[in-house]
Amino acid sequence: MRFVYFNLMPWTEGNETTEDWPVANKRYDPVRGTDVYREYLDNMAYAEECGFDFVGCNEHHMSPFGLQANPTIIAGAITQRTKRVGLAVTGCLVPLLNPIRVAEEYAMLDVISGGRLLAGLLRGIPHEYVAYNVPPDESHGRLIEAVELIKKAWTEPEPFGWEGEFYQFRAVSIWPRPRQQPHPPIVMSGQSPSSARIAAEQRAILGQVLIHDVAAAREHIRIYKEHAESLGWQPSSDHIMIGATCCVADTWDEAKRLMSEGRRYFADVLSGGLRTAQRIVLQKTRYYEDGYGSKFRDIRQAVQQPIEKVIDAGLVLCGTPKMVVEQLKRLHREYGHGIMQINMKVGNIPLAAVTRGMTLFKEEILPEVRGL
Amino acid sequence: MADDIVTFEQKTASLPAGTVRYHVAGTGRPVIYLHAAGGVRLSQPLHALARHFTIYVPVFPGFDGTAPLPGIATIGDLAALVAQFADRVIAQKCDLMGHSFGGHVAAWCAVLHPDRIDQLVLQCAAGFRPPGPPPQGDPMSLLFAHPERLRPEDKEALGHAAANREVAQRYRGGIAMDEALLARLGEINALTLILQGTQDRMIGPDSARLLKSRIARSHLIYVYDAGHVIEIDQPQRFLSVVGDFLGRGEGFLVNWGHGVSGVFVARGPE
Repeated sequence: MRFVYFNLMPWTEGNETTEDWPVANKRYDPVRGTDVYREYLDNMAYAEECGFDFVGCNEHHMSPFGLQANPTIIAGAITQRTKRVGLAVTGCLVPLLNPIRVAEEYAMLDVISGGRLLAGLLRGIPHEYVAYNVPPDESHGRLIEAVELIKKAWTEPEPFGWEGEFYQFRAVSIWPRPRQQPHPPIVMSGQSPSSARIAAEQRAILGQVLIHDVAAAREHIRIYKEHAESLGWQPSSDHIMIGATCCVADTWDEAKRLMSEGRRYFADVLSGGLRTAQRIVLQKTRYYEDGYGSKFRDIRQAVQQPIEKVIDAGLVLCGTPKMVVEQLKRLHREYGHGIMQINMKVGNIPLAAVTRGMTLFKEEILPEVRGL
Repeated sequence: MADDIVTFEQKTASLPAGTVRYHVAGTGRPVIYLHAAGGVRLSQPLHALARHFTIYVPVFPGFDGTAPLPGIATIGDLAALVAQFADRVIAQKCDLMGHSFGGHVAAWCAVLHPDRIDQLVLQCAAGFRPPGPPPQGDPMSLLFAHPERLRPEDKEALGHAAANREVAQRYRGGIAMDEALLARLGEINALTLILQGTQDRMIGPDSARLLKSRIARSHLIYVYDAGHVIEIDQPQRFLSVVGDFLGRGEGFLVNWGHGVSGVFVARGPE
């Protein structure tokens, strides 16, 4: 199994209050921000030393929830601090962006990094559509067309134009083109049945990094595999990426304390503001045509459950190294996945504790689970 | 798409090679449209284009129940016939569009009679199929990504399609890859628009890439979610690109925004 070390880069410098989205940026301190970015980038670069296969980053807008408005900038910085580790960019949110720009930035990253890119082509979470003023009802249509166009931009040997429903370009020939041929591997979100089918159609890695229900996640994998087979191809375990938050500490009490507090901060402070915009999008649009939206609204309740319960449910990794090894083995039995994304900077867990967890991961967990 | 004010008339032209039936509609700069192997289909976007251009659609001899002409037996002969048509009926340099089989003829015409041709549009042009078995399957699914978009009159045109395709096969002489034309594509100096549907199961993107790589002043546009008959699958997208290209020439590359009224402004001098 290969492992992704993911960092959402939350802003945890502020007070305990939460505000409605978009959160007023007067709360952001750009001078302290310079240090925060450096600390986060150092932390992500350390993942290479710890034996992780990828460093992960993603895209969010207008909130202390995550400070990566453009994850390719973060990935670009990572290329200069690392030598071998892959770059799992589980953004960009392509329906919000110019697809040609996405193709170009990913090609740049792939060339600069020597072919280390895992290119996420994601739809995003609902409130981002308010941020970039894109109709949520068009999210699936834009995603599918943009992915087709991006793949063309990466692979087409001759200059070409594109006349589509959402995108029109009369002349495209990106420089550079990607180093990995025919193009970098793609990861797409598969957290609803319709998304799982789209991922299969695009021959993308199926990513489920925010799981609230193991049975539902397994069902998405089943739909993805079945749909892929009907289209004439067979996904392997390397086509399944699963994500979870993770806290590893020297003792169970310490891990439990850190994770409980981190989750509370994530739910109450970081995510609070998002919920209003999220709710409006989900109630007023057809963002989730297959009824997945009702599950999405349960996130806060899930986060507020006791830590033991969510560990038992297979939703969170937490404990001593030995405990987390068993939890990872259990997840592998559930999903049969080949890529595991781990998010250790949960809410306001201090970076020093995260770094300790990464070291424990390297020394005591990875040797036990690498062969899964 | 307001196409209700345009009606195609059917006429005949006396050419040196014999009499040729054609359809014509519209006013403005002349454009010859060469039909596919299935025969003439006066599609919705052709009607829309006829609001701004004079669209001539000659019927290749032997198609749609017309008589074959002696001495017109090959694709090259058809290209010569198109040149005669341009001389006699239009009598000025004109734009030339061809779909599939018609694209094959149009490309030959641009090679052999460059003085007659101004701009060239090749929609899913035939004649450059790479080695390998021809596409298999139900003709409707090979031709259309959206067969449900066929209007009753489009379906009527399909009635002659099987017989027409046999006629086309005789002209082609069973050649899938026209090496002779391939060798001469570099001679085409006309500003050329190459259209390819992203879902075309009849002729794959390799053909379009080949044309793009050999024709110096060419632009390849993929029309998203269109099969082999872009005019039917995506009429608005077809009209937008082709209208812009015919109306603006090289200026079609530029996004003119909403300030310019429509796509059909006059083409400037070269």
